[in-house]
Amino acid sequence: MEGRTIVITSGKGGVGKTTATASIGAALALEGNRVVVIDMDIGLRNLDVVLGLENRIVFNIVDLAYQRCKVKQAAIRDRRIENFFLIPASQSDNKDVLTTVSVERVSKLLKKEFDFIIIDSPAGIERGFENSIAAADEAIVVCTPDVSSIRDADRVIGLLYARSVTPKIIVNRIVPQMVANGDMLSHEDILDVLSVELVGLVPMDEQVVVSTNTGMPLVMQNTSPAGMAFRRIAKRLNGETDIPVKVPECKTGMWNMISKKFSFKK
Amino acid sequence: MGQGETAAVKLKGVGDGFWVTLDPDAPEDDLIAELNRLFKRLRHLTINAKVVIDTGDEKNCEALIEKLGSHLKCNFGIGNVTQPPPKKSVPRERIRQRDASRAWTNYSNNVLMLRGRVRSGQKIEARKHIIITGDVNPGAEIYARGDIYVIGKLLGQVRAGQPDNAAAIVFSLDFRPSQIQIADVLTTGLDKPHENGAEYAFLDQNKNRILVQNYLKTNPFASLPWPEVI
Repeated sequence: MEGRTIVITSGKGGVGKTTATASIGAALALEGNRVVVIDMDIGLRNLDVVLGLENRIVFNIVDLAYQRCKVKQAAIRDRRIENFFLIPASQSDNKDVLTTVSVERVSKLLKKEFDFIIIDSPAGIERGFENSIAAADEAIVVCTPDVSSIRDADRVIGLLYARSVTPKIIVNRIVPQMVANGDMLSHEDILDVLSVELVGLVPMDEQVVVSTNTGMPLVMQNTSPAGMAFRRIAKRLNGETDIPVKVPECKTGMWNMISKKFSFKK
Repeated sequence: MGQGETAAVKLKGVGDGFWVTLDPDAPEDDLIAELNRLFKRLRHLTINAKVVIDTGDEKNCEALIEKLGSHLKCNFGIGNVTQPPPKKSVPRERIRQRDASRAWTNYSNNVLMLRGRVRSGQKIEARKHIIITGDVNPGAEIYARGDIYVIGKLLGQVRAGQPDNAAAIVFSLDFRPSQIQIADVLTTGLDKPHENGAEYAFLDQNKNRILVQNYLKTNPFASLPWPEVI
């Protein structure tokens, strides 16, 4: 059976594409799939750092695209999670070294060996983005609950539809307390504008910073709400579509519980 | 016959024939005599000429015209004799009415109709009017020479009546555009608080301000006497 190529993109930078790629990839591998994550942000590679694999890079995606190495050489195996691999970006090239044709060829090659190929797209909608979505079967758009992120996500969704890729969406960095107070857009507001299928809601989580800095995959920490959210997203992508999307809720303190009970608050 | 009073027969050269104006109340013999007198002088021009016999506003003179016509054909070799063509001024009103009543059967399709969501970064240009069944997201741009109708939410930029159609309107069920332009008047956002319900924007009479009003309360086109093609 051929693998699925999923591109994680957003348009805007800094919304959590790389974290989402690392977490979803790791979670899918924990589910028992053979997974490879590819960093397409050529010139500004990050995914290797987030996964704590930067010391082991020998070959990268550009070498693979130019057939200077084999898949086995380019794919770095994660020692903590079984069947989880990374193909890093090149730090010395720029995004123009790859073409859509070469990316499609690499993707075809990888599909034979892996169940999931998760591509971390760079920010923007230029060459790097074009290359990332060239071989994608599915796309996941990451956005945060702010207007600029939604605007960019909307643009990217339009571009994906134009290339007949049906996008799904993850809303990242939700602060339930702010949503409850009306200071942050709720996921309903976002879906109202974007109107695409929702695959998951990820709450704001300080653990993400810790995990990014230590290179420890988020989904391996059972205490992280964001990690748990990504595990649910991975399960949904893996075919368990009946898992309901869990809406992040604010921690209910004593006073909140009382006021909720007597409906002092809306 | 004297020329002093109104003559019973008048003759005028028209194109390739003659236009004969006669008084149908005059005695027939007088008319024939007068015709003979006039046509005799022009004998060199009468062969195969076309003659129009005009009896003025008098109706039911077909028999007289036919008789005089055959007389002229026999004696002067006239080609054909006809009555004047019906005057155009009388039925004009009726024709216009018919045009209006069938206005919507003879139209060329000037409307671009779209269904779906117009997303950020997408720009749609319509040759004339545009109807979008769906939403227009912030960051999207609609450009039309005529009217813009959004059957849904309008959150993007709209330019109607480009470049100079001041009669154009912008209509939406949820009217919250980031920018509206009608003809050459541009406004950003809306000063007034957003209200629910369909609204539309149009240029005021001085053509220097864009006004937005509730569509159902104003009902701007209800007073038009007849459905007109725009």
